[in-house]
Amino acid sequence: MIIDENQPALAVHALVKRFGDHQVLSGVTLDVRRGEVCVIVGPSGGGKTTFLRCLNGLDDFQEGEIELAGVKLRGGLSPRERTPLLREVRRQVGIVFQQFNLFPHRTALGNVIEAPMHVLGYSRQRAVAEAEVLLARVGLEDKLRHMPDMLSGGQQQRVAIARALAMKPRVMLFDEPTSALDPRMAAEVEAVIVDLAASGQTMVVVTHSLRLARRTAHTLHVFESGQVLESGPPEQVFESPCHEATRRFLHEAGGK
Amino acid sequence: MRQLGLLLAILLGSMVAQAAEPAHADTLSSIRARSKLIWGGDSEGGGPYVYPDPAQPRRMSGFETELADLLAAELEVQAQFYQGLWQNLPALLATGEIDLILNGYELTPARAGEMDHTQPYYVYQLILLARRDSSRLKSWDDLRSHSGGSKFKIGVLGGSGAHVYLSSHYLDQVEIIAYEGTTDAMREVETGKLDATLTDLPAVVFYRDRFQALAEIGQPVGHGYYVMFVRKGDTALRDALNRAIARLLAGGELQLLYEKYGLWNTAQRELASLSGRSDADLGVRATSLRGWAVIRSRGRLLVEAAGMTILLACLSMPLAMLLGLLVALGRRYGPAPLRWLLVAYIEILRGTPLMLQLFVIFFLLPEIGLAVPAFGAAVAGLAINYSAYEAEIYRAGLQAVPRGQMEAALALGMSPALALRRIIIPQAARIVVPPVTNDFIAMFKDTSVCSVITVMELTNQYKVQANDTGATLELAGLTALLYLLMSIPLARLAAVLEKRLARQPKS
Repeated sequence: MIIDENQPALAVHALVKRFGDHQVLSGVTLDVRRGEVCVIVGPSGGGKTTFLRCLNGLDDFQEGEIELAGVKLRGGLSPRERTPLLREVRRQVGIVFQQFNLFPHRTALGNVIEAPMHVLGYSRQRAVAEAEVLLARVGLEDKLRHMPDMLSGGQQQRVAIARALAMKPRVMLFDEPTSALDPRMAAEVEAVIVDLAASGQTMVVVTHSLRLARRTAHTLHVFESGQVLESGPPEQVFESPCHEATRRFLHEAGGK
Repeated sequence: MRQLGLLLAILLGSMVAQAAEPAHADTLSSIRARSKLIWGGDSEGGGPYVYPDPAQPRRMSGFETELADLLAAELEVQAQFYQGLWQNLPALLATGEIDLILNGYELTPARAGEMDHTQPYYVYQLILLARRDSSRLKSWDDLRSHSGGSKFKIGVLGGSGAHVYLSSHYLDQVEIIAYEGTTDAMREVETGKLDATLTDLPAVVFYRDRFQALAEIGQPVGHGYYVMFVRKGDTALRDALNRAIARLLAGGELQLLYEKYGLWNTAQRELASLSGRSDADLGVRATSLRGWAVIRSRGRLLVEAAGMTILLACLSMPLAMLLGLLVALGRRYGPAPLRWLLVAYIEILRGTPLMLQLFVIFFLLPEIGLAVPAFGAAVAGLAINYSAYEAEIYRAGLQAVPRGQMEAALALGMSPALALRRIIIPQAARIVVPPVTNDFIAMFKDTSVCSVITVMELTNQYKVQANDTGATLELAGLTALLYLLMSIPLARLAAVLEKRLARQPKS
């Protein structure tokens, strides 16, 4: 295990998020250490995706605190205070979306070099060299010049992973990365995520796939109704859950 | 290419039809049968010819209105006024909408060739008007010297006798600018945009009080005749009108009428002696310029004017696109007050006619001391007007890019501006190519509206040439052909562009 116990990569304290009257997150507290793979499971509507989106500021939140890469985001900041903090956070955090969100007007390679060139200011040569390595790592070395609409869903998601990795993020966020894919393509993407997890990348993964959770998680969190119901090593949560609700969820999810 | 073929077929077909046109042999009997003499004129041309009665704006006043009444009385029928654009009156005559043209139409060789005419009913002269305080322009000779360096700018009523006179005597010495109304040119002299205007004497007399800053320069020039035009072959009507004019002259009614409007002068004494004179005696040799001859002699002018149309559209459209993009971005991403302001901008520009906007820029801004040259006003007007439409297209394009694209870009650490430039706008651009191209083609045609602010683009030149030669059909055909030649390649270019944007990867 290569987790550094003393270095939390991400610390979330008492996070509260409301959409109008509806409370989506009701005080989530959760730490992720460096090198840790943290997997979040739970029933739909439990606030998993919203939590992930708060971590890189795609959603804002009303109360609580997120500390990440030395930057502290507090609830209730004005847009003016948030903007510079968010840019710092987003450089340190990569995200992979359920729907891939590749740039359709760029090739696979173009998608990966876009941010390194225009955000980090890399030369084209350097960005391309690194992108080629990353695309080879996700098994797409022969698809560099393909447009997204010529790639399968699984291939698109692998390009999306390479695109996020190109920014050398301290933390990678995965938002249901295999949910939009059929089983065979999901397996391709899963293999890449498992490989990445084994390499020591700090990750937060929201997923419906218990298999993915089992294969990658150092820590498993079960979300329900905007709260962390139960946390622990996956074998512990899977084999002897403390809560009846966890048992029920695992049974239903596993029975699919 | 199919459209071209069709157009040529129509053009040729109608030329044949024109040649075989039946003579309107008996207009006089139908006038008597319906007890109405329908005479055509343009009340927008202003006083003292035909103009809305100040006391009763629905009724017409003016010396030609009263003359028409006198003539109708001689024929024992009622006179009925028919409103038409001045330059379109010959076309209205040809289609049979009106029985005669009675509206300051000068006897010119081309008109004498196209239509039959009565004896002169007025001897006109041309007056050069400049600002009273002008130091550069004191005499006709100054026009030739123009020592100041730049040419004098002289406004005329497009296609009028004054236009012809300046073109034939001072073409290289002055810059001639054609207006659609006499008073437009006078106002422009007053505001300083023009150096002078050459106008028929009746208008000068009539508007003397309204434009007190203007003064007559030198002596009147261009002695010529107003005549009434009837369709070729309408000899019975022509002869009846001639007899009526002769009686009104002999009985003194015509002199009384002209004196009432301040138009009687010594030159009019000649009128009585002009009855029965041939065109040659009147100093006019009728010419008929039709078919390929008119295309050969005037085609070049139309092609040059098409160049102006292309220039206008090609300068205005990129400006409109840039302005529209800024407006669209402001509307989608700007703060609330800016958004409201931009909504107002769009609605005002879309909700008022382009012609009115051009008028404001060209005629009204000079009144607050902001003189914009015609070409600049045209480009600015087109660009501003079209920016509203482009903005709406872009807004739709921006909305069509999925939200996830902006999120993905921001999540990669891009600033919103960078995300727009690199990710959102290029995708929106592909969506908006077809509607923007459509607007570009539309703009080529909308440049014709610029004729109202004196820009000599294709439609304006067509109107002037058609009025001068009477060869409406041939010149309209050529004009349509030129517009098609502009728009068809553009449509093809758009198709190519669309294909390339959709396919070509750009990393």
